[in-house]
Amino acid sequence: MKVPLNIDWQQILLHALNFTILFAVLYFFLYKPVKDFMEKREASYKQQHDEAEQALADAKKTKEEYEAKIAGAEEEISVMKSEAGAKAAEERGKMLEQTRQEAAGILETAKKRGEIEHDKIIAEAQKEIADIVTTATEKIVLSADVKKSYDEFLKSAEGNTKNE
Amino acid sequence: MSKKRRIVSIVVFAVIILAILAGIYLLGKPQPKAEDLRETMRDAVLHEYMKVSLFGIKDVNPSLISAFAVTGILTVFALICRIFVIPRFTEIPGKFQMVLEALVDYFRNLGKTNSPEKHKLLSAYVFTAGVYIFVGTMFELFGIQAITTSGVSISLPAPLADINGAIAMGCMSYLFILFGGIANNGIHGFLGTIKEFSLPLSMSFRLFGALLSGALVTELVYYASFLSYGVPVIVGVLFTLLHALIQAYVLTLLVSIFYGEVSEKKLQKPKKRKRKSKAIVATDNTAENNTEVNTENSTITPEVSK
Repeated sequence: MKVPLNIDWQQILLHALNFTILFAVLYFFLYKPVKDFMEKREASYKQQHDEAEQALADAKKTKEEYEAKIAGAEEEISVMKSEAGAKAAEERGKMLEQTRQEAAGILETAKKRGEIEHDKIIAEAQKEIADIVTTATEKIVLSADVKKSYDEFLKSAEGNTKNE
Repeated sequence: MSKKRRIVSIVVFAVIILAILAGIYLLGKPQPKAEDLRETMRDAVLHEYMKVSLFGIKDVNPSLISAFAVTGILTVFALICRIFVIPRFTEIPGKFQMVLEALVDYFRNLGKTNSPEKHKLLSAYVFTAGVYIFVGTMFELFGIQAITTSGVSISLPAPLADINGAIAMGCMSYLFILFGGIANNGIHGFLGTIKEFSLPLSMSFRLFGALLSGALVTELVYYASFLSYGVPVIVGVLFTLLHALIQAYVLTLLVSIFYGEVSEKKLQKPKKRKRKSKAIVATDNTAENNTEVNTENSTITPEVSK
């Protein structure tokens, strides 16, 4: 039978055989290894991505935990601060009171001492005046020159006052 | 000075070339053509005289030899890749790895987009078919010589520029689609493929026509002597390249589209139910219709909330 266009069934089958061989060769030597490599790489990147996401989630969680902890600590600190402030104020009040008392005591003793000193000075002065008067009287009595002795009395009195 | 020199040298070269051309024209009378254009054209289609002996077993069309040669070249290439390149693949691809990956990725995506459910075998098939058609068509450009049984030397044509090769390709693609339909969809896939009974014919003859016409156009350009200077370089290479790309693209696309169509799971039962429910709604009153809408809403909401 004459087939149009010189179609040769045997050659068609030979072409088909050729293509099948080519398919097997390309599939096993080129397509599959490259595809496997790409899939492996994709999987590894996906794994990396998942791991990174997991790590991020963990980090967020820890961060929240720590933030909560910090907030608690801050509250504690403020409580402690106010307590400490109150204590300090109390202490200060006490100290102030004590100091005041001490100061009052010191003032008191100083006053007393001052008075004693004052009395002492006055007493000494009186004694001196008395001495001057006696010496003057003695001199007047001894010289009997009333006018002179009077003058001398005045002079000695003046000198004393000057000395003092 | 330099300008003058340049002009002088250009003129000298032009004169020499013109002299040589004149010599060629005067000395060599064109040989009587060994073959008639009409006969060549006829033989390119029918292959009545230009046959090549296949290892002395059978006289075959030269394109079968080309097909074997292409398979051999691709086998060597694949083996070299497998042995020397693929074991050295790195996470960050180099240039050659990039090319291989792009190639594989393109056909994988082609399979995936056209047949989302089953695409493993389809992707491998379109990969092979695409590479075979492209390389086979480009093979024509190298002009590898073969000796015909009549003792004339011819350059090997593209494997698919021969009717037998094109029919083999088209029928194999059709059988592959048929296989995919039966494997994935049973009798429905079989019927879906049988419905497209013109597909093997159209695929075969599209390939045959496109590739043969490319070869013939190039041949015609060679035969017109005033066109045979410089023009064949552009026309031959450009046509071959275009055909290689377009035919590889078209056949792989067609195969994946039809494969996806016949291997797609047909959701026929829910469709029937829908029609029935619509009929019920049409016959019943509107209150029932409302309740049905409500139940539909209630079934949808949990999915949304998820």
